Formats: sequence, C-alpha cells, structure tokens
Amino acid sequence: MILTSLVLVLLAVLGAPLFAIIGAGALLGFSRAGVDLTAVPIEIYGIAETPILLAIPLFTFAGYILGESRAAARLVRLSSALIGWLPGGLAMVAVATCSLFTAFTGGSGVTIIAIGALLFPALVQAGYSERFTLGLVTSSGSLGLLFAPSLPLIIYGIIAEVSIDSLFVAGIVPGILMMLCLAAFCLWRNRANRRPLAEFSWREVRVAIRESIWELPLPVVVLGGIYSGFFAVSEAAAVTVVYVLVVELLIYREVPLRRLPVIVRNSMVLVGGILLILGISLASTNYMIDAQVPQQLIEIVTRYVSDQTSFLLLLICFLLLIGCILHIFSALVLVVPLMLPVAARYGVNPVHLGIIFVATMELGYLLPPIGLNLYIASYRFNRPVLDVCIATLPFILILFVAVLLITFVPALSLAFIQK
Amino acid sequence: MSEAAPADDGPGPAERLGRWIENALLALVLFAMIGIAAAQVLLRGVLGGGLAWADEALRLLVLWSAMLGAIAASRDNVHLRIDLLSRFLPETSRRLAAVLVDVFAAVISGVLAWYSWRFVAGSREFEDVVLRDWPAWPFQAILPTAFALIAYRYVADLPRHFRPRTGGSGGR
Repeated sequence: MILTSLVLVLLAVLGAPLFAIIGAGALLGFSRAGVDLTAVPIEIYGIAETPILLAIPLFTFAGYILGESRAAARLVRLSSALIGWLPGGLAMVAVATCSLFTAFTGGSGVTIIAIGALLFPALVQAGYSERFTLGLVTSSGSLGLLFAPSLPLIIYGIIAEVSIDSLFVAGIVPGILMMLCLAAFCLWRNRANRRPLAEFSWREVRVAIRESIWELPLPVVVLGGIYSGFFAVSEAAAVTVVYVLVVELLIYREVPLRRLPVIVRNSMVLVGGILLILGISLASTNYMIDAQVPQQLIEIVTRYVSDQTSFLLLLICFLLLIGCILHIFSALVLVVPLMLPVAARYGVNPVHLGIIFVATMELGYLLPPIGLNLYIASYRFNRPVLDVCIATLPFILILFVAVLLITFVPALSLAFIQK
Repeated sequence: MSEAAPADDGPGPAERLGRWIENALLALVLFAMIGIAAAQVLLRGVLGGGLAWADEALRLLVLWSAMLGAIAASRDNVHLRIDLLSRFLPETSRRLAAVLVDVFAAVISGVLAWYSWRFVAGSREFEDVVLRDWPAWPFQAILPTAFALIAYRYVADLPRHFRPRTGGSGGR
C-alpha cells in the first residue's frame, strides 16, 4: 500500500498526467478491496449525474471569449477614469480590475496576460518603480477567486457538498479584505509618489462608460443574480455565455468568427482536463472513504495536533505547499475530500474551510520556486523568474497577513450566511 | 489514423482530420449546451417551467464535453500534471522519465477503456434508458471511446521522445 503510493507520487512528480495517477489509485484500491472494477467508470459517469457541473464549461467558455476581446482594455480605461485621479490611484485600478477580471475568467493566468500587459507600461509611465509594478501585476493576477462566479469556489462546493451560493456570499468580505490589503500597501509604498495619474475628467468618464456600455450590465446581472438568489449558478452561467457571445461577437465584433473554433477548443480542453480528474476522483474518493482513509488521517492528526488554532496553522502551511506544486483544480479534487472530515473534527465550518482553501491557494500561485503566476509573469513581461520572485515577495507577505486574518476570524466569512 | 505523423513537415493529414473532427464535435456539444441551457432559463422566466428532458440532456452533454475535451487535451498534451522533477533532470533521464510516464498513462487509460467498455456492455444488457425511452449505452459509449483514444494518443506520441530536439513539432 505504502509502496504503491510512493510509486504513484514518484510518477506524478516525473510528470505523469494526474488523471492517470488518480485513476491508478482508484483501480488498485478497488481491486485490492475485491470490488468489480467497472465501479470506476460508473463513478466517472457521475459527471452526468451532477447538474451543477454545467456551470463549468459555460463559464470557462465565456471567460475565454472575454479574454480574447478588448474587454480588459475597456475595463482598465473605465476604472482609470473613475479612480485613477486618486493618489496612488493607478495601483488601485490594477487591484480592482484584476479581481473582477479573474472572477469572470477563472484565474488560469489569463488575468496577467490580458490585464497585466496593459497595466505594466502604464504603471511604469506613471512613475511606479519597475520592481514594484512587476510585483503588483503578478500578485493581483490571482486576486478575485473569492468572488462569484469563481470556478474554484464552484468546484469546492461540488466536492464538499456545501451550498455554492453560501460560498459566494462567504467570499465577499475576505475577497475585499485581500484587495484592501494590497491597495493599502500600494498607497504606503508609494507615499512619495502621490502625483495623481491625471485630473478627474467627466469627459473621460463619459467616453469610457460609452465605450464599455454593453459590458457594464454583465457583472451587475450575473453578480446581482447570483448574490440575490434570482439565478441558480448554472442559470447565471447560461446567461453569461449568451450575453458575452452576443456582445463580443455581434456588437463589438472584436472576436472574429473564424477564431471561434480555436477558442472553443482551448476552453474545452481545460474543461476536459478539470472534469476528467474530477470524475476519476469521485471514484478514488469513494474508495478512500470505504477504506476509512479519512478516519486514519484524523487519528494521526489528532495525535499530534490538539487544538483548532494549531490545526489551522498546520493547514495553511500544508495548503501553501500544495498550492505551489498543484494547479488549484487538481488540489481541490485531491485534497478537499481528505481534509473535510479532519477539519470538521476540529470544528471548522465547511464554508469557512472553502474560503481558507481558495484564499491560501491564491497565495500558493505566487510562491517561489514553482508558483504558476511567477512563470506566467516572467514569460509575459520577459523578466527572469528570480526577478519576479523578488519583486513579488513583499506582496506575498501582505497577502499572507490577509490569509491569516481570514483563517482566524471566521466571522469575516460566516457573518452574512443565513443559518 | 494508423501512425503518428512524421516529425518535420508539420501535422499529417490524419492529424489534421482528427483535430478537425474533435473541434467540430466540441463546438457542436458546446453550442447545443448553450442553446438548451439558455432556452431553459427563458422558459422558466416566461412560462415558469422548462422542458422536461432538458436537464438530463444537459447533464449528458456535460459528460460528452468533458470526455471530448479530455481527448483533445491529450492530443495537445495539456492534461493537468505536477511535473516537478523532470525539468531538473539531465536530457537522457528526462527522456526516459517522459517515456515511463507516457507508458504509464497509456496503460491506465487502456485499463479504464476496458472497464468502461464492460460498464457500457452491462448497461446495454440491462437495457438502461436515458431521456425517458432512449437506450443509455450509446450516450455512455463516450467513456470507453475517449479512454481508448487517450491511450492511443500516448502510444502514438511515444516516438516523439526519441527524436533529437529541434523544437517546434513537439507538444507544449
């Protein structure tokens, strides 16, 4: 048993696809337990029995279309017009636009590529140091995963079987807290450079609003619809995708129709990758529950960890480690089923746990040596990875403080949830 | 589609045809999903009730999009992986590791294809139905088909690890 696990871990770090690793684990586990192995495909077929999964392909496709259009440029222009005149305003524009864009595009590095590229030259031009800019753009790229309609929260809700609407509500305050921490840091770091970017101009605001008039209703409809409970999550996804298709393809006409097959393929390749490991992990999770793996884990953990505080600290360290080696979707399907029962043992609310999980994983994206966003930023802005790491370090520390607050003040997540 | 395309002169006709079929099916499934889901929202808003078959059809389409996406992901070699060690290995060991993990992935996909096929055969025997009275097995057949194609892809791509690295034609 231990030997097989070691071999699987070795294969995984050598680069075997995760679906094969999880699949091998499930097949071996079931066969050892004497269960007919058709149990594995039957579990995978569970993809077709989980209605909420519909939201995943729809939101992903909509996000890819938005990423291809000039929506990012319009968003940056509008928020610069609205808050760019504040001292340190452009940095706050970066934080705000990145969060909104990441929430809608799923945070697979699209934000750094689409928005970072626009903001980087603008920030440097406005007198922010290059190192500061690099760090800011890289770290803002993973903000926003705590807001609806974030895919990681949806997937957490599916795996943990908690209400996705509650998760979205619970994510609001922690998400805003992370944004505020970064914005406050930007103000403080640039207290010498208080020169506003530009005068406030009604004309510019009007032009920017007129330019993005068709996209402005989207966050209102989707976020309003989800947070008010008017739309179910998958209904909101259907509305989003139709809206985005009409606006970007027919009204703005920025995404040419012949690009569509490529966008469909790229988004569905990601969806296939996520849903495949999700489906296979349904099988491996079932096996692990049969084999009482969570109970054994609880026994081991309770032997060494006595109270909730030390458990949560340990959890954050563990998640940071996981966050820098695993993509957030893989981490969700692999870790959450095992972590849930243990956390419940320490009295951690599953909704709160989801928020901790996603917030910490956002940070994991940035951790050297293997955080994904470091490499995307290094590639996109043509800077050595080491430079990006050094530039991002202060931002990581700030966000880490935010994660600690989110973790140890459950009320931030749970205050607005109806019991 | 019997063998992998030669390395140098870009994708061969089999490669192009396969990719085209994947893209067409993906688009078909995705837009069917969008159409039905949007119709459901409209009907619920206007009439207060949707189509009886739509929710189940949507769930089956999600399964199909997932498996078709997974087939495409293995052609593009972009399945989620950790890949921690291999970038630090010297060239020869890196290639050996790549062969090892691809053989492993092919074997597991093959086993999954076989048991998926048994699952589908069983479903056919017991005459399981979906969407009120349609036989379930053609809808479920995407599972063995997808895993078989994924296994085939890992086998077909093996020679790529033995070619000198000239950049360009390999996966990402």
